[in-house]
Amino acid sequence: MSLMKPDMQMDESFYKIDEIRELTGNAFSLRLPKARFAFKAGQHLSLGIVGGNQSREYSIYSGVDDDCLEVLVKEVENGYFTPQLRKLKVGRLVEVHGPFGKFGMEPEVAQTGKFVFIASGTGIAPFRSIIRTFPGIDYTLIHGVRYADEAYDRDEYDSKRYVLCTSREKKGSYHGRLTGYLKNSNFAPETQFDLCGNSNMIFDALEILKDKGFDRDQIHCEVYF
Amino acid sequence: MKYHLITLGCQMNIADSERVSSVLEGMGYVSTENEEDATLLGILACSVRQKPIDKVYNKIAQWNRWKNKRNLITFVSGCLLPADKEKFLKTFDLVFPMSELGQFPDMIREYGVVTPAGLKAREPIMPKNEHIASMWHIKPTYHSTYEAFVPIQNGCDKFCTFCAVPYTRGREVSRPSAEIIEEVTHLVNQGYKSITLLGQNVNSYGLDKKGEEITFAELLRQIGELGKSSEHEFWLYFTSPNPQDMNREVIEVIAAYDCLAKQIHLPMQSGDERVLIKMNRRHSMDKYRRIVADIRELIPTATLFTDIIVGFTGEGESEFQNTVTAFEEFKFNMAYIAMYSPRPGAASFRWEDEVSQEDKKDRLRRLSDVLKICSHEYNDSLLGKTVRVLINGTDRKTGFSTGLTEGKIIVRLDHHDDSLMGKIVNVKITSSTFLSMSGEVV
Repeated sequence: MSLMKPDMQMDESFYKIDEIRELTGNAFSLRLPKARFAFKAGQHLSLGIVGGNQSREYSIYSGVDDDCLEVLVKEVENGYFTPQLRKLKVGRLVEVHGPFGKFGMEPEVAQTGKFVFIASGTGIAPFRSIIRTFPGIDYTLIHGVRYADEAYDRDEYDSKRYVLCTSREKKGSYHGRLTGYLKNSNFAPETQFDLCGNSNMIFDALEILKDKGFDRDQIHCEVYF
Repeated sequence: MKYHLITLGCQMNIADSERVSSVLEGMGYVSTENEEDATLLGILACSVRQKPIDKVYNKIAQWNRWKNKRNLITFVSGCLLPADKEKFLKTFDLVFPMSELGQFPDMIREYGVVTPAGLKAREPIMPKNEHIASMWHIKPTYHSTYEAFVPIQNGCDKFCTFCAVPYTRGREVSRPSAEIIEEVTHLVNQGYKSITLLGQNVNSYGLDKKGEEITFAELLRQIGELGKSSEHEFWLYFTSPNPQDMNREVIEVIAAYDCLAKQIHLPMQSGDERVLIKMNRRHSMDKYRRIVADIRELIPTATLFTDIIVGFTGEGESEFQNTVTAFEEFKFNMAYIAMYSPRPGAASFRWEDEVSQEDKKDRLRRLSDVLKICSHEYNDSLLGKTVRVLINGTDRKTGFSTGLTEGKIIVRLDHHDDSLMGKIVNVKITSSTFLSMSGEVV
């Protein structure tokens, strides 16, 4: 912005943190006022700390009709940005831009489609938004984590539709990586797959689904980086 | 009062510089090619790659030394990463995004005030484009009488992991179609021969204003109709599109109108599915293949250009081979091949840059070799044929006139003729090499 123009008014992209929810030792969510922020379930936003010079993209964790805007954050050990987010307190300002992305779910699609949501770790975020936005959606949510306490907000999901794959302990529905579960599972031919998480999981899951005969167009990916 | 403006980077910066020139010349400044004669020195910067940014740092260091001997005002605009912007605030007199170009005269008048660090707290990290319309309203000072660039869209929402443009140019915003048609109509009536629609995601045009604005295909159609009813011959191009938003309808429209140039620039970036995912490119190779198939079917004479990054994080030899295979499959006429360099602000900056410079250079060379074979084959196919060529320059070695075909292949004539500059003429192709051809005017 201009050197010459003093800016004494709060920018409308600045949001105050209303609540911080602690989810596990290093994962938490930030709740911001919804204000006029309109989005489609599945989209993401860009989040920065006012006064800083960096931002990161986060899937929107809340549903479209929720009364807050929420993002799910996992603190990266020795990271630059997430430790700074971790130190924020309620009332601090963050800068929000968006929404972005075509991972968003259209209402008419949500009402008629059959979906398998595949997430690793915090990749569950866009799917929570979709499920909260479209309560009647026909879905199976396969969530791959290391430990069961990383099954963020697990109780919100229909237990018959939620498959927790725990790679390092036997506490979920399936002990092992989610790709192992995927390999041994069958899905209806018309299923739409949405994948979200780290790129290695997405590569592997993509290959498994292609090997099962699903078209690349049936598989939508959102990589976390 | 004289000004000197250095423009780095892409055609968008060229288009922006034309508007900066208009603003300065409106204030009474006169352009000079000689930096040492100017009292106002500016740069339209490019942050997409490291080399252009290094040029900016070198240049401002030199200009600041000159300040010891004479009064100067320096400014920088264009594509600025937040990290670079912070440093520029300490070295340039004026730093502003293009969306604030309308206020540039006031800034110059108030010159001399250095921002204290405290104001930085109010600077948004991502540039806002709500005032971009005021920049588009500035009538540009076109640098050429036959070639023009028309910005139609600004910003990027794609967040490809190798790229910082979303942080330098902000959100995608489409310019009102009525303004675009007006500017293009003016250019056509003035006899411009080559008009390029510009945008960081040029074919995402209208998507930010669904229901309020026309689509990119419809915009092309309206320009096509303009061309059909005009007595002037021109070629309409567009860059840079994203395969994610490319569709068959756009190709059908291009096929339907002579004035819509049969040259498609379609950045692929990699031919490997995994690398594309890691780059956060939203098109699959299947999608890219379908687009190319549509192009070959509907506009078979079209040339195909692309952008490629070699040596991206995660690209091993087998992934690179997939890019080589893609080159052999799609037979590009031209490719802008870059060796990956981590860009501050881009997501991949936080990853290990694991491919060695040596391997990157080797891959660039190998891919260029494939490109040369494909482009040579195409150029050979035109031997003996007569093509339309827009004469636009002079060959540095021979001094002979040069130009570009509709498909943007370089053609060198066998003589120099100033009177042909800016004209579209018939040229019989007499020889070809990779990447260019030679011919005689008929």
